[in-house]
Amino acid sequence: MAPRSTRKKAVEEAPMEEEPTSHQPTAEDEDASMADADVDQEDGEEANPEDEEEEEDEEVQRVRILPGSTPTAASFEFLEEGHTLGNALRYIVMQNPDVEFCAYAIPHPSEAKMNVRIQTYEGTTAIQALEKGLRDLQELCDVVTDKFTVARDEFSNRMAA
Amino acid sequence: MAPSRAGPTAEELDQRKIVGINPETVTDTTNTDFPGHYPGEDHSWDLERFRNGFQIEFHHNDPFDASFSLIGVDASIANAFRRILIADIPTLAIESVFITDNTSVIQDEVLAHRLGLIPFKGNQDGLKNFLRFWKKPEPGVEPTLYDFNTVMLSLNVECTHNPKASEDEEDPTKLYNHAHVYAKDIQFHPVGRQKKYFSGEGAIAPVHPDILIAKMRPGQAIELTMHMHKGVGSDHAKFSPVATASYRLMPTITITQPILGKDAEKFAKCFPKGVIGLEKVSRKEAAQKGSGYEGHEGELKAVVKDPMRDTVSRECLRHAEFQGKVRLGRRRDHFIFSIESTGQWNSDDLFLESVVKLKEKCAKLEKQVINMAR
Amino acid sequence: MSREQYQIPTTGGQGDFSGGQTSRAIEQAPTGPMFYTCGDCAVKVPLEKGAPIRCQKCGARVLYKERTKRMVQFEAR
Repeated sequence: MAPRSTRKKAVEEAPMEEEPTSHQPTAEDEDASMADADVDQEDGEEANPEDEEEEEDEEVQRVRILPGSTPTAASFEFLEEGHTLGNALRYIVMQNPDVEFCAYAIPHPSEAKMNVRIQTYEGTTAIQALEKGLRDLQELCDVVTDKFTVARDEFSNRMAA
Repeated sequence: MAPSRAGPTAEELDQRKIVGINPETVTDTTNTDFPGHYPGEDHSWDLERFRNGFQIEFHHNDPFDASFSLIGVDASIANAFRRILIADIPTLAIESVFITDNTSVIQDEVLAHRLGLIPFKGNQDGLKNFLRFWKKPEPGVEPTLYDFNTVMLSLNVECTHNPKASEDEEDPTKLYNHAHVYAKDIQFHPVGRQKKYFSGEGAIAPVHPDILIAKMRPGQAIELTMHMHKGVGSDHAKFSPVATASYRLMPTITITQPILGKDAEKFAKCFPKGVIGLEKVSRKEAAQKGSGYEGHEGELKAVVKDPMRDTVSRECLRHAEFQGKVRLGRRRDHFIFSIESTGQWNSDDLFLESVVKLKEKCAKLEKQVINMAR
Repeated sequence: MSREQYQIPTTGGQGDFSGGQTSRAIEQAPTGPMFYTCGDCAVKVPLEKGAPIRCQKCGARVLYKERTKRMVQFEAR
């Protein structure tokens, strides 16, 4: 266990951390970013974080085409993805009859990067195949959700009877 | 087996789905349902065909332990669901521990580590929809702890002598007050809108109130405050909502030649109880020429009753008397899931959440791919 | 010499932390005598600065300091 990651600086940060959650109902002098009124504070806080989150989602681009790709033979790099999506996506893309080749690889386990290579026959591009694959996977998830809910409810009814 | 001109028979199709289990090897492990693998057959992705072929069967559905079968789906998809169950579903757990006093023999960091691993439960709607993730701010930036991303807990226990204990008492829990610190000693302090969501039955409380946290003796005390945040299992195992989520493939046992009499009894002993049943050979079966039952009417024969109970130990392959009479295998597309929840979510909700998460992942990436292609 | 010489830590806001908090932490302990725990008889011994180091009850000269009253933060990991 690395001591540096567990122990925080004892003194300076300590009192500050405790107060903010409990500080909303009571006004604190230091953390003066919020105005005083208690009820209004909570409503006001709703607005700010949501705005921040939306902006951040749009900024980070997690997919890019790797250099050396042609329209029908392309490699893509996904950030923050691994075998969970990689294998599932590869399976679905392979079900596409216009796809000649599809494979995924993780260059190094220490980095959260996943490469997917798609080669298609003439008639469709690699990006179209990728988009179709992602769409098909979403449809598959919908079918699974529907069937699961039906099966679960039916089982509960059967058990209750 | 090459398919005939007319296309694969039902038996051939069934055979394609079986992974062979042999004494020393496992064969046919990969799925071959890809377009172009079998000439003349169309295996391209068809949502309707998937919908018709896909089934879910429940085996049991207790709140924190669910077992069901997914039939007709590929291993990569089932595995994706399993991985998301373990690593990508947000859960609430203790993240920061502020220790004002700890004179017990448990070191501060060990105590903090143990507190982080305690599973908590609370109102489902509040946990899922109201509480949000919290990102640690850069040093120097003001902390951003609000009622929608932080839950406050505290633990204040002091161990004292119990004057009412008898003279020769040896049990420390009777000799002293609060000698053992349990999870039920943790108090929840709702703030702001949390009072609305987490009150009464839905209050944030440990799933198991009798988890032992520390032991103390008189004069020792623990006084600390804790902040809980939402996190995912990929970050730290304390955030994993499942004790574990696993699946196994449905075993198949095919008896190719009759196993009769004493052999049948021995065969039944090679498997867990309930897998193999013993039935009497009927007159009709004995009458069939070439079936191997001639002259054995009335004897007991081995019949496969419930292959799901089998643990595939391959014990029957070790005995010479069964050589060539039995074939073991597993169905490649039949996954028997077992989801054991730690108590914050219900097992069936967890699986639904996992499917939804996979869909969300794809949706977000689809947007990004369109973005990238522009 | 180096451009940024070592600065003696001063009380009262040196930039990053909100001033009020830091100074409160480093100032002198408001309550008077510090309590130390005797090594032999475990009784709490109040001791002033400059006082001889001896337990009042048993006369032992090994005294242990008590745990700090300051709050310490940990990550539960």
